Order: sequence, then structure tokens, then C-alpha cells
Amino acid sequence: MLSAFRSALATPDLRKKILFTLMIVAVYRLGAVIPAPGVSYNSVQACQAQVEGQSFFTLLNLFSGGALLQLSIFATGIMPYITASIIVQLLTVVIPHFEELKKEGQSGQGKLTQYTRYLTIALAILQATGVIALAERGGMFPNCTESIFPDSSVLTMAITVLTMTAGTAVMMWMGELITERGVGNGMSLLIFLNIAAQIPAEGANILNQNTPLVFGFVCLLALVIIASVVFVEQGQRRIPVQYAKRMVGRRMYGGTSTYLPIKVNQAGVIPVIFGSSLLYLPDLLVNLTGDPQNPSGFTQFIQTYLSDQSSWLHMLLYFALIIFFTYFYITITFNVDDRAEEMKKFGGFIPGIRPGRPTAEYLRFVLSRITLPGSIYLGIVAILPNFFLSLTGEGQNQNFPLGGTAVLIMVGVGLDTVKQIESQLMQRNYEGFLR
Amino acid sequence: MALMSRVSKRLRRIIQRPASVELTRYEALLPRIEKREPELEMLDDSELTAAATELGDELSSTGTFSDRQLVEVCALGREAARRGLGERAFDVQLLGTMGLLTGHVVQMQTGEGKTLAGALAAAGYALQGKRVHVISVNDYLARRDAEWMRPVYDLLGVSVGWVEPSLETADRRGAYSAEICYGAVSEIGFDVLRDRLVTDAGDLVQADPEVAIVDEADSVLVDEARVPLVMAGSVDAGVADLEVADIVRRLRVGLHYETDPDGRNAWLTTAGASVVEKSLGGIDLYAEDGADRLASVNVALHAHALLTRDVDYLVRDGKVQLINASRGRVAELQRWPDGLQAAVEAKEQLPPSDRGEILDSITVQALIARYPQVAGMTGTAVAVAEQLREFYELEVAVIPPNTPNVREDAGDRIYAAPNNKLRAIVSEIEEVHATGRPILVGTQDVAESEELAEKLEKAGLPCVVLNARNDAEEAAIIAEAGTYERITVSTQMAGRGTDIRLGGADGSDRERVAETGGLHVIGTARYPSSRLDDQLRGRAGRQGDPGSSVFFASLNDELVLGHAPDVPDGIDADPETGEVTDHAAHRQINHAQRVAEGVDLEIHRNTWRYTRLIEHQRSELLKWRDEVLRTDTAKKTLSELAAGTGDAGDGSGERTGKNGKKAKKAADGTGSGDSGSGDTGPGDTAPGDARSGEAASEDSGAGDTGAAETAARETDSADEIDGAHETGGADDTGGDEPGRTTSGAQRLSGARLTELAEKLGEDELTTVCRRIMLFHMDQRWADHLAFLNNVRETIHLRAMAREQPLDEFHRAAIPEFHKIRGEVESRSAETLASAEVTSDGIDLAAAGVRRPTSTWTYLVQDNPFDSDAEQALKKVRGMLRKKRS
Repeated sequence: MLSAFRSALATPDLRKKILFTLMIVAVYRLGAVIPAPGVSYNSVQACQAQVEGQSFFTLLNLFSGGALLQLSIFATGIMPYITASIIVQLLTVVIPHFEELKKEGQSGQGKLTQYTRYLTIALAILQATGVIALAERGGMFPNCTESIFPDSSVLTMAITVLTMTAGTAVMMWMGELITERGVGNGMSLLIFLNIAAQIPAEGANILNQNTPLVFGFVCLLALVIIASVVFVEQGQRRIPVQYAKRMVGRRMYGGTSTYLPIKVNQAGVIPVIFGSSLLYLPDLLVNLTGDPQNPSGFTQFIQTYLSDQSSWLHMLLYFALIIFFTYFYITITFNVDDRAEEMKKFGGFIPGIRPGRPTAEYLRFVLSRITLPGSIYLGIVAILPNFFLSLTGEGQNQNFPLGGTAVLIMVGVGLDTVKQIESQLMQRNYEGFLR
Repeated sequence: MALMSRVSKRLRRIIQRPASVELTRYEALLPRIEKREPELEMLDDSELTAAATELGDELSSTGTFSDRQLVEVCALGREAARRGLGERAFDVQLLGTMGLLTGHVVQMQTGEGKTLAGALAAAGYALQGKRVHVISVNDYLARRDAEWMRPVYDLLGVSVGWVEPSLETADRRGAYSAEICYGAVSEIGFDVLRDRLVTDAGDLVQADPEVAIVDEADSVLVDEARVPLVMAGSVDAGVADLEVADIVRRLRVGLHYETDPDGRNAWLTTAGASVVEKSLGGIDLYAEDGADRLASVNVALHAHALLTRDVDYLVRDGKVQLINASRGRVAELQRWPDGLQAAVEAKEQLPPSDRGEILDSITVQALIARYPQVAGMTGTAVAVAEQLREFYELEVAVIPPNTPNVREDAGDRIYAAPNNKLRAIVSEIEEVHATGRPILVGTQDVAESEELAEKLEKAGLPCVVLNARNDAEEAAIIAEAGTYERITVSTQMAGRGTDIRLGGADGSDRERVAETGGLHVIGTARYPSSRLDDQLRGRAGRQGDPGSSVFFASLNDELVLGHAPDVPDGIDADPETGEVTDHAAHRQINHAQRVAEGVDLEIHRNTWRYTRLIEHQRSELLKWRDEVLRTDTAKKTLSELAAGTGDAGDGSGERTGKNGKKAKKAADGTGSGDSGSGDTGPGDTAPGDARSGEAASEDSGAGDTGAAETAARETDSADEIDGAHETGGADDTGGDEPGRTTSGAQRLSGARLTELAEKLGEDELTTVCRRIMLFHMDQRWADHLAFLNNVRETIHLRAMAREQPLDEFHRAAIPEFHKIRGEVESRSAETLASAEVTSDGIDLAAAGVRRPTSTWTYLVQDNPFDSDAEQALKKVRGMLRKKRS
């Protein structure tokens, strides 16, 4: 690992790519802390200190690297871009013209990307307006009385919206730049960065609120979690597959490199996101409709058992939801019948198993067996941080950087990026063959 | 200036418009060229040659052309063309020449004289002292152009040659040694491949590549580049499975097997599988070890269901001959890979030909990338400008036509059903023919051209057919296609590079034909790319001639069925003629063509992405091969191996143990490349490698420094493997490979080597060592290619674990490559140790060293798979559609 990085830095063009990526990262982090025009920096800081970690926007804030609650020029972040790409992807199913473009290969894809960009700008304007309106009315920091916008004229607001929209456009551009000229996927890297950027602050938080011993324990545990997530993420079941459509004289290579891999965690991070979003819903409902002075029985129940992330009911429910969503998601995305059909079409088969339906059955069997440990693993990773809560005290929640979602995303993106660097290294690693 | 052009490039990229280079700089030079004309006219021929030679002396000192030099080259070229060919080069041709001399792909309309423009540029480069290859699309054009332009080259004092398949090696070498050599891309590519397999440096035909000028650049660089050139050697007589062919012949589509709509795959249904199993005597096709049987069934099924006689291949002289789909002509010396050829032969009940094995391959990209300087010319470059930039880093320059084009291009005429379309085409021909205009009909394939010819015959319209069956007469037929009242039906190739002059080859009847309206071009269906459409249209309206073109299409054309089968409802056809005028139909057909273009681009890019690594590995291996070929490295290496085990025998066990320990340390990372000095030699290799240890003992004893070198180098390679392991790739490369080396080396002893040297003589031994080593090197490379093919086939499955297939491919390919060197050395040692020495010398054939008796090329199809997300989306789309209906 380390030696890989050493040789990566020793390869000129790869070094250039890595440095380029780091430069973009630096620019981006700088932008994330520059306040947008019209925002009172002092008020924001004061409010932030008050509501630390209790806002409803923590998930969004997490994805924006803290820029959202800072109301910085990158406050809207890359969320509009992500939303826009999802929307455009979905539209290819609905709008015939989009479907045609998608089929037309590169030139059509180029046009779709262009549409995505336009849509991103539109969404960014919407989101920036929303964020500013919310902050202006005090909705963003519920119990904070400071005035965030000293001058709330239309012109100032418009400039703020414009700035944040431009911020999103710049981030989109930076993401594309990384993909094109740096290492890794720009968008994923930026998300990774956003999450990672929170770690020091959260760490300091824990240190402030607890003894150094607890802090050390948390750090150790965090390392153990990350290590085991890395371990499980790499795990896969390899089903041997043979493609019998050529007649080759000598078949000297068995099935060692021709296989169909199924990951232990085939579903990725999605079930965790689904599960936590679903658990937020009752909480959100109560907060929006309930009367805080005079809580009803239902509200009290929700607040005691569901909103409190260290309650056993919350954890149990969360765990169950994740297991359910893992199975659900895998059934939707991994279509064994399609796989079996595709293999049959291209002359592939699993030795000893007939193509078509028997192959599908076999795949289904393997998949369901591997999904069980996979889903339990996801559940554990997701609720582990909740155990921390009792250790680290009030004010923490699921979205703090060692939470399930965050760790899974970070490890996923990290692994991908390292793999990409590695593969670029390998392609250049021929010197020495002749020496 | 540079900044401005960079900005404008960026802007063009933003608005996503294919770029072309500004030519104004060169246009400014035209008057200066014209001014030189009278001066040069005064010179006699030998003075002209002398002037060219003088210019050449000046040019050879500089790498690029200054404005003044461009003027000189063009002026001399124009004068030489005037004397040699009797035609004065137009300004636009000289513009083209200058574009080529500055390394662009120039787009010139059909009939504007690309050949001359290219020849003058070739002469310009040759005067620089560089070797120029003019790469054309087929052998006929290469030869014709070389002969045609010879007078010009003679006057300019440069030599010219051409290569074609029938040439003997010596003639080939002669052609390549000329300053300018014409050749088809496949011919030049195969010479490169053959040169990579020679066992004697004297057998090489090509020298280092310097300049390539590509004629019909879009065809060569884009169409041909989708398929790599593959060289195969015969291994043994092919085994045609007649039994399987018989069984498969009885199967019925739909019931026993199915095919996908684009005709790329065929597979057995459950019913089909049980029929085959029963017919074969109740075996299980899908048993763990049944892959071979299944493969032969699949291959036979492919031959039966997907390959059609007269569309995909011809049967001529008792042989199966492939038709090159992108050109519609017989592909000489091409075969299908992996048993498909034998299966087709079994299907046609022909005797099986030799079975082959892939020895080597090269893509057109890699072939072109060998040349430091590349330029190209074609009639349709702008449409592929993006690809030329992506794959070749070439920019397109558009040359305006000499006289404006007045051809009338009519809109598509679309019909609901194919028979409506055919009827309409025949009546269109009848109508136009009545006016006396010559007609050129471009069809999609051989079968269609013959069907149409038959229909025309019935309607009393005599026509000339030009297709793969009579491609030898191609040029003559095409040259006459402009004759009064002539009807020519051709496949898509339509004689690229040959002009259709109105009024016949000599243009004698031009006036009469021009008055009727010139050549009328009819396309019977839209081609898979708009570029091919334009090529066909471009046959008419040459150099300001009158002419017209029209395409017929149907919503049941292969293009539509294969790429955009979801025709929207509510497109009505005229009940009588079946003609469709709905705008939606036009859109559908244009869309289908864009999809086809996208698929082709994807295939091209995929081929390129996956072969780039292979090319890289090949070039690394070739460096070693070249060293072995040209020097006595082979003998040195083998004697070092022998020396390593020279005194093997007593009491080395303990030593080896120690070495093993040390080696472990080395593997842990302390061993480094500089550990080659005598004393660290022992044991710096992986455990179990007795060889280097022994080498060192020899070293300390007899002071043989050569042995120490082996040890040091072996150290390096072990280190290298270890490095690969560390960077995450290899799982199991380290240990056993040097072990293998040892087992081979132990059998080849120093004594054996001395004995051989005595029997054969030192020189002969060197040659023998070289031949053995080259043989194993080539063999090992062929094995490596087979391995890569195997991996490549299933690598798309890795996407399922959200891995990048391309990265995974590298991960599998690289450790495998690092094994090659060790294995080649050990196998060579084994062969040398075991080969029998007879009175005629050493019997290498008995030791398994056999070169393939014949070589041919393969037609390889590559298949891009849908991505994971694609699959999911498709499913959702399918669900929605079901709901709607």
C-alpha cells in the first residue's frame, strides 16, 4: 500500500495527476469555508455553536462537508448535480428523446451530460433559494435568535443565491476536472472529502466532552471498524464460469480467472441510507406537527424510542430495516434471470449446471446465502456508532463521521481511488522486464 | 497566436463541433508557387531532378518544412506532374499537399486528385531523407497509384515501390527499401507481424518506420481499425466435427435455438440442448469437463445460424472465402477464429483446412503509432474528426473543392415493406434509364446486389454487377460506370479510389451524358454510418459534374431492425405504393444510423482500450526478441543457465537452505536492484532457486563473471515479481516460477553445451540457441495471447462486483506477463538439453521446435456488453412498456 503510493509519486504523469487532484481539493476546501456574501459570519458561528449536531439538515450538511451550515459559497454543494444526474437517468426511461440519445453512444451521452448540467444549475438555484429562505426565517438553526442576514433586501438575497449557484457550478466543473485529469471519480471524491472533512471537528468535539481515555478508545474502535469494513468490502464469492464458444486446442487455464464475482456486501451503502431515511420520517413528522409545549402520547413515544438513537428500539428497528432493504435492493438490482439469460446468449455456463432456469436457480441460491451475512454486516456497521453515543454523550447522531453511511461511503470511494491509482501504476510498471 | 488557437480549440470543444484546421496560412503561399512556375518550366528534366535533389539536401537537415520549403516542394511537384502525367496540379491539390506535409488529415472531395496531392507530399517527405509508406485501403490501389505516380517520382529523383500479397520476400524487401513504398494497410501490418516472427535478422523486410501517409484515412483508420490484424499459424489439420454439423443442421430456429436480433449470437434452447444431447448419445453437454464438446456444438450452431452463404462468405474453388463486411469484397487469406472456420467448412461439407493458432496481433492504431510522422487524406474526414483526434491525435483540414459541387441530393424515400422498396427502386431505375443517364446502384451485400440484378434483368434493364465475386474487374467496371445508358449495381465498396468519369473511362461521350443530367446514384438502404452514405453519394458530381443521388429505405431494413426496432406507432404508408412520408419515419431511420455509429465507436474504443496493454507488453517482449535476434544473447543466456548447474551435485543441499533464508530476507524488501555484485549474488532470489546459488559458487571458484550477472539479473526479475505482488496485483507469481527455471536448468549442463559446441561448431550452436529461444518466445507469446483472450471474454462479469473490467483485465494480465521471461529461458534450456544430435546437425523438429507452415489472418469480432446499470434500466423500461400496453 505505502510502497504503491511511493512508486505512484515516483511516476511523473501519475504524480502530476495526484498533485492536480490535491490542488482541486485545496481550492474546494477553501471555498467551503468562505462565507457567501450577505451572510453574517459571526451570527452563523454563534448559531452553529448553539445547535451543534441537532439540526435536521445533518445528512445534507454531511454531504456538503459542513459548507451548508456554514452558509459558505459552496453551501449547495454537489447535491444538485447528483440529483440532476439521477433525474436525467430516470428521464431516459420516460422521455423517448432521452432514450434515443442514450442509445446513440458517445454523441448522445454528451448531449445528456449537457442536459444534466443545465438541470444542475436550475436545481442549484432552487436549493440555494430554499437554503437562504430557511436561514433567513430562522428555520435552519431552530433555537438561534441571531440574525444571519443583516441586510435582507432582495438584491442581497439575489446575489447570495447567485453566488451559491455559481459555487455549485464550480464544484461540478472541479469534479469533472478530477475525473478527466486527476485520479478517481471526481464526484465521489468530492463526497468523500466532504465526509472526511468533518472528522477532525467531530473528533475535537468528542475530546472536549469526554476524557482523553474515552477519546483514545473511540479512535481505536474507529480504526478497527474501518479495517473490518475494508476487509468485508473486498470479500466476494467467485462462481466459476466458462465461455464455450471457441474451440481452443490446449485449454491450459482452468477457471482461475474466469468467474462471476458476487460481493459479500453486494448492495453497498444504499440499504443503510434507505433505513436511516425511513427512521427519520416519524421524527420529522412529530417535529413538524407536534406542539413542543404540550406533547401528545404519540409524540412522547416517538421521542423516547425512535428519535433517541441510543434506545434499543431504535437500534433494533434500524437493524431490521437494513436487513430488509439489503434483500430488497439485491432482488431489484441483481436480476438472476437476466444474468442467466445473458450468459446463455453469449455461450457461457457454470460448469455442472445447465443454462437458463437451473443457472438462475443456482445463482439465486448463492445470492440468498451470501446476502444474509452481508446484510448482518451492514446492520452491525450501521448501528455500531449508536453504541458510541452512550460513550460520547449527547449531541452525536448517526451522521457523525464514523456512522455507518459515512464509513461505508468513505471506504468505498477510497478503495476505488486506490485501485485506480494502482491500475495506472501497473500499466506503467514494465521497466525491469529487460534489466 | 498559440494562445488564440488554444482558446478557439477549447471553444469549439465546448460547443461540441468537430474542428478543422485553418488553411489560410497555406493559401497565402499559392501565388508564390505560381511565380516559381515559369522558372521551373525552363529547366530540362535532369535539371529538374537536380533541383529536387538540391532541395532534398537542404531539407534533410531540418525536421519540419518552412514556408519557403513548402513553396519549393509544391512548385517542383507541380512541374514534375505536368511533365510526368501531363496534368497541372490544381491549387487545391497543392493545398492538400501542404496539409499533408504539416501532418494533417486533409479532406478533399472525390475526384479532386487526392492521389497526386498525396504523391507530392510523399515526395516531399522522401526528399527530407525519410522513408515514406503510403498506406491505402486495398492492394489494387496501392499498386495502381505507385505505377501511376512513378513518372513524377522519377523526375523528382525519389524511388518508389509497392507491396501486395503475392510478392516474394526478396521483392518485398526491395519494395520497402525504396524511399516511397505503397501498400494496403493489412499488407503493411502483416509484414510488421511477420517481421516479428523471423528467426534470422536477414529475413526482416521492413526498416524502422518513419512517415505514413494514409489514403482513404477514414476507411483505414476508423473502419479497418475496429478489427485487429491477427496472424495465425497452422498447428495441425483441422478436425471438422461432421457429426455435430449434421445434428445442428436439423435444428430449427425458435424451437431448438434462438438468435439475437443483431445476428451476433445464437444459443440452444432447453429443447435444443436435449435434442443435441440425445443425438450425441445421451451425454451431458454442461458437465464440469464438457466445455470442449459444448464449444464444438456452439461453434457449429454459430456457423449454421448466423453465417449465410453469399452474405458472409462465398464458396469458391471448394474453399470457404470470407467477405469483408466493411468493404464488400473477398477477404483474401482471412479466416474465422477458434474453430468457426472448420465448422463452416463442415456445414458446406468441404474438406477441413488447417487448424490455426493465433501467433500475434496488432491493431491499426498500434501500427500507425509506430510512425513518428503521420498524415492522411480522404473524402469524408470531418465526420470522424473526433475519433481521429482521440485515437491518432490527428487534426482534420478541409480543402475546398476546385469547382463547386452541383450534385442534387434528394431526401430519403421510405417504404413500409422491403418488397415495396424494391419495386420502387426498379421503377426509379426504369424512369431514369429512359433519359439515358448512367445509374450507379449501391447495395448492402452480395446477395442483395444479385437479387436486384435479377429483378432488373426481368424488367428488361441490362446491368453490370460489381461485387465480391468479380472484384478483380472492379476498377474497369467502375471506370465505365459513367457511360451513356449504363446501369451498374455494386456493393458498398464501389471502387474507392477510381473515378467515374461521365461518358466512359476516356470521357469521350462526356457532353451527351452531362446534358442528360450526369450520373444518378441510388442507395438501396442507408448504411450503418452517414460517412458511408456520403461516400456513395460522392461517386456522382465529381469535379463540378452534374449528378444526383437518392437513398431508399424501409422501416424493415437491417439497420432499423438491428439498432432501433421500436418503431413508433401510427406511421401510415400509402396503401398503393407503400411509401411513407411521415416525419417520424425519417427520424427513426436517422436515429438507427446514429445508434449504429455509436455502437461502432464503442467497439472501436473497447478494442483499443483492451489492446493497448497487449501492445505494450508485446513491444516490451519485442525489445528482448530483437536483442536475441541480432546478437548472441540466446547462447549467452543458455550457457549461463548451464553454468549455473555445471557442478551441481554434491552437498549443495545445505547451501540451498541457507540461500533460501537469505532469499526470504530479500523478498521482504531488503533486496534491491543493485545487489548484483559477486558476494551478494547467492541467495538473493526466491526460495528454492538453487541455480543462482550455484552460479555464485562457480563464480567464486572459477571467476566466471558471467554467472554472477545471471544471478544479479535473476535477482532483479524476482524483485520485480515481488514488486508486482506488493502493488496489489499478483497472487501467486513469486515462488514457483524460479523453481521451474531451476528444474530446466538442472538438466542443461555445461558438459552438454561443450559437447554440442564440439559437434556443431560454435557458430552453428549460436544459431541453434537463437532458434530455440525465439521459438519458445513466440510460442509463449501465442499462449499468452490465448490466455488474454480467455480472460477478456469473461472480464465483463467483474462489473458485477462493481469493479472496473479494464482494471481487472490489467490485474490478470500483468503478473502473467512477468512469468514469460523465466519460462522462455527454462523451456529453451530444456529443449537444448534434450534435442538429439544427428549427422545432419541437431534435430530441432523432434524436440518440438516447429515453425508454422503457413500463416493467415483472422477476422475477429468483438462484442461490447451492456453495463450493469444499463441492464437495470432496460428492465425498468421493459416493465413500463408492459404497463403501457
